[in-house]
Amino acid sequence: MRALVSTGGRRWIPALALGVACGAQAAPGSDPIAWLQRAAEAARSTSYGGTFAHSNGERTSTVRITHVNVSGEEHERIEPLDGPPLEIVRKNDEMFCYFPDAKTVRLDRRVTPRFFPAILSPTPAAIASSYDVKLGQTERVLGFDCQWIRLDPKDNLRYAQRLCSEINTGLVIRAKTFNEQNQMIELYTFTDLKLGRDVAKGDVRSIFEARVKRWVTDAQPREEAKSVDTGWAVTNPPAGFEKVTELRRTLPGRPQPVSQIIYSDGLASLSVFIEPNAPPRMAESSSEDGTTTFFVHPMGESLVSVLGEVPLAAAQQVGRSVARRP
Amino acid sequence: MTQEISSLMDGEAPAHEAESAIRSCSASGEHKETWLIYHAIGDAMRGQTPRVLALPEAVIEALKAQPTVLAPRRRAIDSTFARVALAAAASVATLGVVGWLGSQGGQGDTSPVIAKSSSPIQPVSNTTILRENAPDVRDYLAAHRQQPSAELYRPVNNRAPAQAR
Repeated sequence: MRALVSTGGRRWIPALALGVACGAQAAPGSDPIAWLQRAAEAARSTSYGGTFAHSNGERTSTVRITHVNVSGEEHERIEPLDGPPLEIVRKNDEMFCYFPDAKTVRLDRRVTPRFFPAILSPTPAAIASSYDVKLGQTERVLGFDCQWIRLDPKDNLRYAQRLCSEINTGLVIRAKTFNEQNQMIELYTFTDLKLGRDVAKGDVRSIFEARVKRWVTDAQPREEAKSVDTGWAVTNPPAGFEKVTELRRTLPGRPQPVSQIIYSDGLASLSVFIEPNAPPRMAESSSEDGTTTFFVHPMGESLVSVLGEVPLAAAQQVGRSVARRP
Repeated sequence: MTQEISSLMDGEAPAHEAESAIRSCSASGEHKETWLIYHAIGDAMRGQTPRVLALPEAVIEALKAQPTVLAPRRRAIDSTFARVALAAAASVATLGVVGWLGSQGGQGDTSPVIAKSSSPIQPVSNTTILRENAPDVRDYLAAHRQQPSAELYRPVNNRAPAQAR
């Protein structure tokens, strides 16, 4: 019996390995959804390392990233290169955020893939219901041949995106977001990049951990990352936006946790925050910077704040339709 | 009377003139405004943050009429934030709207905006304004992106931390 199972297994393993290898190698032809699928998969399954620049509205930042996949497990190290030192070391969804100045390591669980180049949800097929997806030009970017994927929104509740997918691996190595006036409002681009075997696996380890003798561990964010019933609901989310999760987060200066509901259309995401309206604010207010929209909607004794990479119209539609769950 | 107020500010007014200037500043709204504006201008020219806490409506209105100076955005910023930020910009003399969203990942490059401003108001830290009047967007950004900034992290020290690793 044991021999039988084992023989069956042996037959399958090479076939699987070949299939995976082909999936990472072969470009998916002319189907734009297949390109999206491959780009989403590449951010998880391939190895890459380098530095990318991120411009969003008034802000610009540079980030060093190394990502490897060992036996199906993701290991990643992210280090913002601007401002006070910090690094995020991630194993699958477990995040360790080291703040050497505060000698504190913050534990958290990744709720949505929000870090470039992992900007697509694992099920990009749903994206096609909200965006017209087409293949654009092929172009040489950072020394790699790339296929541009064009995503144009079907309504005014999300932004147009252009993703530059490296042809051999599918990895998104440049991403641009455009507003309704066709102005670029956000840009992610690698400035140097290594792929596959060129990536040193040791680079995903923490470099700050050894610098501090006794780290204070703050595990509260990880506890808070668990889904809870906040008692609140968005009754009229924009078409295509699905609830990812809802939880309660401690924010600085608040005596009690704030309810957070996260929505995504597979590409853009937004968070709805609900907390006591104190000191009371009466008027709605909003601000936009690049793709980041912030909309505040006082609702009697509660204050609803929407923050996301969506146009103001979408944030308003969400914020104004928040209600207590019956 | 404006000359007397000016002299008073410079410490050059004789006693009787000073008394009359102080009286008029206390009694007349117009002269009080003059007093406030002179101080704001003086502070700004010395490169200090104006100490004035309530600038006259006229200055705020003038600032509102120039949204591109303070907020070079593709859409005008709505209601309360604009009012709060502009009022704060006038009173605390800061950049306000431009910087406060941008301050999440560092201070951002806001200097070109200041350079264009014809106002003598000097910029100071852009993180002080909205905190007391509006929710701090950086808290929400960090929670949304799960990307806490080191600055934002500080309050955690006030919580009961878990044992060291």
